[in-house]
Amino acid sequence: MNRKIHLLLASALATNVAFGVAAQENSVTVVLSEELEIVEPCSATKSNVGRVLFQNISETVTEMDPNTGLQPRLAESWEDMGNGTWRFTLRPDVTFSDGTDMRTDDVAHSLVRMKSPDIACEIGAKFFGGIEITTNIIDEYTIDVTASPAQPILPMLMSTVTVTPSDTPLDSFVDHPIGTGPYTFDEYIRGESITLNANPNYWGEQPTVQSATYVFRGDSAVRAAMVAAGEADIAPNIALQDATDDALDFSYPNSETLFLRIEHAQEPLNDRRVREALSLAVDREAFVGTILANGTLLATGMTPPSTIGYNRDLAPYPFDPERARELLAEAAADGVAIETEITLIGRTNNFANVLETMEALLAMYQDVGFNMKLEMVEVAEWLERYAKPFPEDRGPQLIQAQHDNANGDPVFSMYFKYHSDGQQSGLLDPNVDAMIVDATAATGDERAAKWSELFTYLHEESIADVMLFHMVGFSRVNERLDFTPSIRTNSELQLSQIQFN
Amino acid sequence: MLKFLGSRAIASAISLVGLILLVFFLSRLTGDPTGLYLPLDASEESRNQFREIHGLNDPLLIQFFNYLGDLVRLDFGESIRRSEPAIDVVLRGFGWTLQLAVVTMSLVVVFSIILGSLAAFHVGGVFDRIATFFSLIGASAPDFWIAIVAIVIFSVNLGWVPTSGTGTVWHWILPVSVLFIRPFGLILQIVRGSMITALSSAYVKTARAKGIKNKAIIFVHALRNALLPVITVIGDQAAALLNGAVVVETIFGFPGVGKLMIDSILQRDFTVVMAAIMLTATAIFVMNLVIDILYSILDPRIRY
Repeated sequence: MNRKIHLLLASALATNVAFGVAAQENSVTVVLSEELEIVEPCSATKSNVGRVLFQNISETVTEMDPNTGLQPRLAESWEDMGNGTWRFTLRPDVTFSDGTDMRTDDVAHSLVRMKSPDIACEIGAKFFGGIEITTNIIDEYTIDVTASPAQPILPMLMSTVTVTPSDTPLDSFVDHPIGTGPYTFDEYIRGESITLNANPNYWGEQPTVQSATYVFRGDSAVRAAMVAAGEADIAPNIALQDATDDALDFSYPNSETLFLRIEHAQEPLNDRRVREALSLAVDREAFVGTILANGTLLATGMTPPSTIGYNRDLAPYPFDPERARELLAEAAADGVAIETEITLIGRTNNFANVLETMEALLAMYQDVGFNMKLEMVEVAEWLERYAKPFPEDRGPQLIQAQHDNANGDPVFSMYFKYHSDGQQSGLLDPNVDAMIVDATAATGDERAAKWSELFTYLHEESIADVMLFHMVGFSRVNERLDFTPSIRTNSELQLSQIQFN
Repeated sequence: MLKFLGSRAIASAISLVGLILLVFFLSRLTGDPTGLYLPLDASEESRNQFREIHGLNDPLLIQFFNYLGDLVRLDFGESIRRSEPAIDVVLRGFGWTLQLAVVTMSLVVVFSIILGSLAAFHVGGVFDRIATFFSLIGASAPDFWIAIVAIVIFSVNLGWVPTSGTGTVWHWILPVSVLFIRPFGLILQIVRGSMITALSSAYVKTARAKGIKNKAIIFVHALRNALLPVITVIGDQAAALLNGAVVVETIFGFPGVGKLMIDSILQRDFTVVMAAIMLTATAIFVMNLVIDILYSILDPRIRY
């Protein structure tokens, strides 16, 4: 009996020791909030897919760095050939992880594949919707890419295009991605883990992290506990209430902007004074450090401050309930039906404390005299109300939404959010339409100035939406790593940038 | 017996058809999944293509008959979310759930019967107090709270067991323990109550008068007669576990069918919802049959 007990204790001790050294030298474990539904490079801009594949397995033609701007990746250089055509020159000596050489026909195939009607590729639909792309292969390393209508920011758009081998099927997603990146996709045990290992034939410098294991835990407290217990090294996304350890937790602007979308055609929201009252009635400062994290920024525009043309001179609307009441009274005196019930729609589980945030907003609006009710809805129902075609008989609505733009250019946001034909636009304003078209076609300083002008118009003239906050996210990182999460951590996690302390 | 089993199988098949009808049309009432799978910025053309690929442009009745046609060939369709056969996704999750349910219920049955019997033998004694303590915890503390507290204490602070995951036998300790508490508390009380009745019956008094040892009286004579109501409750609790322990699966990262079903409903992944419900329902029908057979074994007076 004693022998059995000793064996049991020894076994327990051995396992206990094993947990302590679970994190092996040169390898990291990343705990994600949900399992990857697909491991498809043409959908690598989805955040959880991107954290595994983007620039680790599948590299892009160019690379957008929020700090240094557009950088070469698989393309060494690019040149505007006019008439919507850009010439890209690829790096020589790049091979895929299956051993084949990466050439221009692979880039051409990847561009065709992301727009393939037989598969729903996130990158094609999100960044190239309404754009026709044709290619002309000049030689093995030179390719002309033509966009119709012409896209002055085509090199920037190419920072989203992941390159896959030319024999990748056009009609189905892959379950074992092949790429040119610093890592190879080695194993996916469904429901449990994904393993990547360093690609010995990588064209660039060999990364310090030689292997990575991704595991999936739905609960934020468990993800945080795994890093605290040494079972994981990085939890890229934990909730505010779980970020309790200053030594392990990092906050960073997560590129999400929180706002209330106003549909301007609906009375009383069609009156500018009512929209101004909606902006003045919110005590934004009161949210920060209470139900929203410290470091949350007050927003004046749809995109984060790191995007070009962001107008830093714009001031957030102050909290002025008296002025809000006066504006409503003025509007009522002019016959605006301010007593009409407005539905404030929130999206459940959209971010930590979303319900508390929406209830606080409701109370502030009711306090200044709005007749308003709150509805919290699941994502599917939210989408039906948020995107066109809008439901019939909807009445005036304020819809809470978050918008993510980590790409550095407002073009990824403005058309869809504010153009009259934009899928989620609540505006029908020819001035805004013209300003978006102008800014999209401009380049350099002129482009930044035009976007800045549009931000000003939307914020001060039109009062397009109720802009609330640029949000922050939290990541927990094991102290053995030299890695600081940034705005990019929201959508990608480049393992090659991680070092050990 | 065979006639009984046949009639139960037919009744179960009819229920299953009803379930298919109900779930198919109710799940479609939740709306079109297209918006959930394509980016917000996707064009109407892309949306139409997506609907075409997944047969969502057809009238609902046509979709239903197409589905039935496929089902006859045991083709459960393809998961929209995972781009693989729905039945493969479900079987993978169901395997985990089945293991979790079998391990947990085996422990629950053994411990609740032993402790419940001992508690009934000495009402108010030490075993009875332990039984009451566990029953109260099981009835009053929510699973998610117990799970998180257990992780903080046993994994983060003491480092005895892993926080979550499925790699070794040690990974099973916390999830099984958390799942164990509620059915254990409930079945323990049923065993205790049923055993108190059995132990006060005439045949037990006769056995005592004949000088039979307590151990034999409890576990041979009284327990067998006390087990009928216990089996019914065990069946209910096992069915609940087979439906998936969503909270425990989510917290401990167990890729079971419960979390899969909830995720699939929220993601409108209809084929997976249908396959998961059909498989779970079939498992529960089979389990109910087993319980009926157990009745007749435990009590020879029951004849089908």
